[in-house]
Amino acid sequence: MSLKFYRRVAFGLSPNDKQDKDPLNWALSQLNSIPDLLWPGTIPTEKELRKKYGEWVYGDREVLRKKFKNDKNAYKKAKDELRIKTGERYFELNEHAIRHYQTKHSTQPVFERFWLFWGNHFAISEKDFLAEFSTGPYQREIIRPNMVKTFEEMVLSVTTSWCMIHHLDNSESFGPNSKKGMEWRETINENHARELLELHTVSPNAGYTQEDVIQLAYIMTGWSHKWSRKNLETGDVWFDQEMHQKGDKIVLGVKYKNDAKRELAKVIHDLATHPICIKFISTKLCRHFITDEPTQEIISPVIEAWNKSNGSLTEIHKAVISQAYKYNETTHKFHPPEIWLMQLSRMFDLSIPLSAEKMNYAFKSKPTSKQKQLSWILREIGNSPYRAKQPNGWSDFEIDWVSPELLLRRFWFASIELPILVKSENNSHDFILACLKNNFEDYENMASLIHQFRFGTSDKDLGRKYGVICNLPGVLKV
Amino acid sequence: MNCTRRNFLIGGSSTLFLSGYFPKISFASMKKKNLIIISLRGGMDGLTAVPVIGDKRLKKLRKKLILEDVLKLNSDFGLHPKLEIFYKLWEKNQAAFVHATNIPYTGRSHFDGQNLMETGAHIPYKEKTGWLGRGLLASNIIGQGLAISLPMPLLLRGVPQNNNFFPSPDFVETKLIDQIYNEFKGEHNELIKSTLDTIRQRPLSMQIATDSDDRKKLALEAAKQLKDQSGPRVAVFDLDGFDTHTAQGGVDGAHADELEEVNEIVTILHENLGQAFDNTLILTLTEFGRTIKQNGGYGTEHGYGSAILMAGGLLKKSQVYTDWPGLKKKELFEGRDLNSTIDSRAVYNSAMAVCFNQDPEYLRKEVFWGDELTDLSQELFKI
Repeated sequence: MSLKFYRRVAFGLSPNDKQDKDPLNWALSQLNSIPDLLWPGTIPTEKELRKKYGEWVYGDREVLRKKFKNDKNAYKKAKDELRIKTGERYFELNEHAIRHYQTKHSTQPVFERFWLFWGNHFAISEKDFLAEFSTGPYQREIIRPNMVKTFEEMVLSVTTSWCMIHHLDNSESFGPNSKKGMEWRETINENHARELLELHTVSPNAGYTQEDVIQLAYIMTGWSHKWSRKNLETGDVWFDQEMHQKGDKIVLGVKYKNDAKRELAKVIHDLATHPICIKFISTKLCRHFITDEPTQEIISPVIEAWNKSNGSLTEIHKAVISQAYKYNETTHKFHPPEIWLMQLSRMFDLSIPLSAEKMNYAFKSKPTSKQKQLSWILREIGNSPYRAKQPNGWSDFEIDWVSPELLLRRFWFASIELPILVKSENNSHDFILACLKNNFEDYENMASLIHQFRFGTSDKDLGRKYGVICNLPGVLKV
Repeated sequence: MNCTRRNFLIGGSSTLFLSGYFPKISFASMKKKNLIIISLRGGMDGLTAVPVIGDKRLKKLRKKLILEDVLKLNSDFGLHPKLEIFYKLWEKNQAAFVHATNIPYTGRSHFDGQNLMETGAHIPYKEKTGWLGRGLLASNIIGQGLAISLPMPLLLRGVPQNNNFFPSPDFVETKLIDQIYNEFKGEHNELIKSTLDTIRQRPLSMQIATDSDDRKKLALEAAKQLKDQSGPRVAVFDLDGFDTHTAQGGVDGAHADELEEVNEIVTILHENLGQAFDNTLILTLTEFGRTIKQNGGYGTEHGYGSAILMAGGLLKKSQVYTDWPGLKKKELFEGRDLNSTIDSRAVYNSAMAVCFNQDPEYLRKEVFWGDELTDLSQELFKI
């Protein structure tokens, strides 16, 4: 078994991590429970952050815009003050710190890789102020706790979460024959229903029609945020019977009797256990961990585990890891920039993220450039995790991550930014060699490529060394 | 021909790389013609960009999305006021529109639709190359595609040595690449290796060191490169945010903001291409249009027919080229969307034929598998 397994299913080995005698068991045993979040700094709840979201949109939309409608400069100034007061520019930085601290220090790094996977499968793309206030806590409080439950339970939680409902406009969807729909002559918004089918569950392979999308949207009407004058769209999610389309619905040939809020769980049960859904998600999991184009032979055991366990995510994850282990030597997988960064951070013990103490924010001035550093790096290497451009999230295909500009960003990071993140006690050549030996069979060849710089310890020298090492084929790929 | 990326990488590129450089095909005898595609992701609403004038039904169905102050193009069509550069160019016969057009895809999924608008195919995810990449390859134009985005858009894939740029925070010592270049061995490293080749050959000016994604700088640099006779002949811009399910707005609002971005890019290209603008075609590309009727959030849903916005000196004349299907319920696609009466791929095929000096028949076979696509070069472009 080669050392690349530790990077294939996790983040490589830190200077303190030891190789395990039984790497497969090492990986499988990490999937039974949910590790605590280790970040020693503040971890605000989703509810607290939604309150901040409300303060921000209410303050801007309802107060400042009206108060300064004739004075653009005064408006801008007041708005900047509001940003500071509500943490509008801060919370996303803190969420990145929580996330990267976890992948760097977790004793269940394999679990964390699945956390990243599911957060991206049920992606929240850049919209309104979701990345600023909501996507991070959604990852922590909606995705994470469901990872030891069933896929069906995860879909139901995601679908009724405030974040996803806001992301895909379900609060704007009215049953045309519902009380409010009739009164206000409103109709459905198909966005959420379509993505629930296409991205979250069965995929277009299921052959659903436009009518299926409409019928599912009818079932979903009423699941919305509770609107109020003071909280605007940031109220809790509830089922508003007065928005709900009356009557029976038919989705993918199955009839759902008029049953108000209970209809949703029933249709999600059928979607999440649909054979095409199982195949679609199993394929996606194998693509993420094993190879861009997984074969039937690779995927089948995952599907089998899914069926046998009635969709238990723990069992599904174990099957994926077993397959990743089995095909470790014969397949190659390119890692997207964020995972690459996380691996570098863990393998070379970089000072990412900033210490919790320094990440502390007093809501009195703008976040410092140090506090912004990790988020800035993520953006510049092209992979700011909570800002996917579209609801299908970030790609798992190599071809989408290899362009001149994207590769140059990796050289930029490794040769210019990374040296600043090397801890002062780690700037010796021996340290690099030890890290290489810990993680790569061909460390001697790697070492020979930087041998000429062995005496240098300045940032520039470190840049030459890391610029080379971090972009070697065996580091970009497993 | 069915040249996938993989067999190109295995076949074509390695022999060329052995010679150490990419010979640029000499077009010294003729002026270089530029083709610029602006992808509008999310589904651009053709009826917001180029609205029909005086349609009572549309007004009734879109009460909250009404456009005032539209710029009048002719007796039937207007132009969104945020697209003012197109109006200015229209008066000089340098802007035109194709309306009620789309790729032959009616599925209403963004992701399938965007995949097909780029591959030009019929089955999502089946083809791994873009129609523009294949068109360049069939015309033997290698290494002259430029993308203004971080990833390489699917649209340009299929021909090697395309470049891309985006503002970056700092310059990189590319000699680092020389040190590790030979480590990239084996088939599974071919894509990275060929991309490293492109990096090694690209001009330093392509690294725009600035910590912002200021679109003005991008368009400006693209114009500079395109203007250069030995520079790229094809450029691709990538915009998103056209998926306005809520608060779509009219003159202002979400859709207007996106159109304003298109306007800005075209304005900068026009200003900075100078004379080269006369030998340029700019065309937009989107996955579908939007529903006629507004939805529950004063936005619109995914639809079918849309419009192509065109600018440049290679246009034949200012016109709204359309076979208008009408907006009565029975005239709509599935009773809800503007229909598409022109396969938009015919427009792109003709544009490539004009810009790459190729026979449209030849390109149709090489790029679009011989699909039935009318040659529109006579109607739309200067040949």
